[in-house]
Amino acid sequence: MTPNLFGLLVEAALYTVLLSAISIVIGIAIGMGVASARASSHLALAFVARVYVSFFRGVPLLVQLLVIYNLLPAVGINVPSDVAAVVGLSLCTSAYQAENLRGGFLSVPKGLLESADMLGLTPWQQLVRIRAPIAFRLTLPAVVNEAILILKASSLVSVVGVVELTRMAQDLANSTYAPIQLYSAAGLLYFLINRVVAGLGAFAERRMAWGRR
Amino acid sequence: MNFDVGLLIAKAPEILNALGVTIMAWLIGLVGACIIGFAVAVARRYGPRWLNGLLFGYVEVFRGTPFLVQLFLLYFGGPYAGLSLDALPAGLMALSVYGGAYFSEVFRLGFEGVPRGHVEAAECAGLSRGQIVARILLPEMAVLVLPASVNLAVVLLKETSVLSIITVQELTFTASAIGTEFYAFVEALFVLALGYWGLVEFAAALGRVAERRLARFAVS
Amino acid sequence: MTNAISVKSLSKSFGKTQVLQKINLEFPAGAATCVIGPSGSGKSTLLRCLSFLEEPDSGTIEVFGEPLGFTEDAQGKRARIAAARLRKVRAGIGMVFQQFNLWPHMTALGNVSAALKLVRKLPRAEAEDRAMAQLTRIGLEARAGHYPSQLSGGQQQRVAIARALALEPKIMLFDEATASLDPELTGEVLAVMRGLAEDGMTMVIVTHEIGFAASIGRVIAFLDHGQVLTSGGPQEVFGKPRHPRIEQFLDTYLDRGAAMLI
Repeated sequence: MTPNLFGLLVEAALYTVLLSAISIVIGIAIGMGVASARASSHLALAFVARVYVSFFRGVPLLVQLLVIYNLLPAVGINVPSDVAAVVGLSLCTSAYQAENLRGGFLSVPKGLLESADMLGLTPWQQLVRIRAPIAFRLTLPAVVNEAILILKASSLVSVVGVVELTRMAQDLANSTYAPIQLYSAAGLLYFLINRVVAGLGAFAERRMAWGRR
Repeated sequence: MNFDVGLLIAKAPEILNALGVTIMAWLIGLVGACIIGFAVAVARRYGPRWLNGLLFGYVEVFRGTPFLVQLFLLYFGGPYAGLSLDALPAGLMALSVYGGAYFSEVFRLGFEGVPRGHVEAAECAGLSRGQIVARILLPEMAVLVLPASVNLAVVLLKETSVLSIITVQELTFTASAIGTEFYAFVEALFVLALGYWGLVEFAAALGRVAERRLARFAVS
Repeated sequence: MTNAISVKSLSKSFGKTQVLQKINLEFPAGAATCVIGPSGSGKSTLLRCLSFLEEPDSGTIEVFGEPLGFTEDAQGKRARIAAARLRKVRAGIGMVFQQFNLWPHMTALGNVSAALKLVRKLPRAEAEDRAMAQLTRIGLEARAGHYPSQLSGGQQQRVAIARALALEPKIMLFDEATASLDPELTGEVLAVMRGLAEDGMTMVIVTHEIGFAASIGRVIAFLDHGQVLTSGGPQEVFGKPRHPRIEQFLDTYLDRGAAMLI
């Protein structure tokens, strides 16, 4: 394993992190929307949200990626593979985040919202200032977990031609005939990235302890 | 874009065969993962300390890296280490090892979740080690680990689709091939979504039935 | 003396249970009215109706002449008042809860100043100044930067009171404000409440602290099974000869400060 090769892997690893980070952020945003829809009093909206969650959690990510990659051009929408990858990852994770957030929102004690009511906060203010921060804190462990899952799942976008870490390892393995070294190195990099994310999650949890040890 | 039912009907045997491969890979992988997971959990709990450390490493590595990379390592890298496997056996082995790491954590938590007091009461009553495990530990564990196990089973089912990348002829591989060959992506998507979605719901339903049946063992 | 709150024929049931039955009560302005009674008598429900956290099934509530929640015309037809109007009426009412309900992700100062920033739309500096003034008034200015999890129960409840007072309400509602506190901590909260009463705040206090109620309340209302058994000054309600039901009720509270009344 020459430094050159490892350097290429590290570069690809950074791209993996970038793709995953974008997908995680978009996924959380969409997930919040879906979670709100799920809790909505409009029955049709809530039903659609339930189906959405069920679909993106029930169908394998690889299938979702293949669909986006193959189906969109068929209807005339041509997207670069990287965009298709991010779209696929975001949609998939949004369903899981929606479930995480749903649990969080339900756990916000009613009394905290009643006192907000009494002080005159509008429903929107209550959502943004009270429910969201508290729900987020409650769901933080699950959100961090999901982030790690996305980092691992991003390996599948290699299939639609995105040159992230797995694809780079594949290409290099094919040209150097050293699959064991390259896939092991790639695995190591994934492992390290996940460790860092877990550490960041723990740090965030401590920051949001709000006075507790 | 129209929906060619005729194509689906013509290709039905192929599709059903592929579905069979998926189910078989899933079940074999699941059983393998459970066996490995259980063995690891037991070894970690009752074995020597150095073994616990080693197995902890196994669990962390296989949970912290993508399944695809593990699969590639085994299938493409294996021959260089003297382990030449065909696609399907390689896939099954990779699934079992990957799933095993996750199951070992589930079982480990299950072991710890059974209150010590129950085991102590059994010891005082004179039950043998084997009897305690079979009649107290395992039944109480079963109800504790069931929800997580069902979730893991669903995860493994979806991971079988990754085997298509090393050309195992399961559902994703076959449906995608039909889709590209006949430019019939809608039909392919339909088959895939239905197949996996259906299996997942089926597994979840089985899980709920099992949960109800095991409720009487629940540790309250 | 004008009435701050006027309750007419208020009824409320939860499912099959009739919790409040045609309650008629007047709450005088500038004074404390204490609502007491056994568990399940409906006192908390009555208070929550006064803040419209529970919606009464029938009857009307008027706050300084403004209808709260519903208007009822001569034929008994009800009409819901607009949400904005409801918020306006509620703006003059402050509420203190048994569970404090401080927001865990904000400091004491943050909790007290939040409504000033969000509802009154005051600039940050002014909001925090006013909040600090309130905290100083109850003696907790040193704790302004602490989170609720770092405060004792008594301190949390006092912050909750400051939070409600920050909006300068005309009426303060207290829903069993000391019921969740360890006995040593109730004193500090009751002292704050006494201070408010002495300053002439209109208060409605639902409480189990009978001795406190007798000493602070200008009007005592005794609720039993959803009805006002009797109401009037402390002398009327507690002085002998007492209504037998009140006698029975006080028996259970002999150890809790009611002894002085016997």
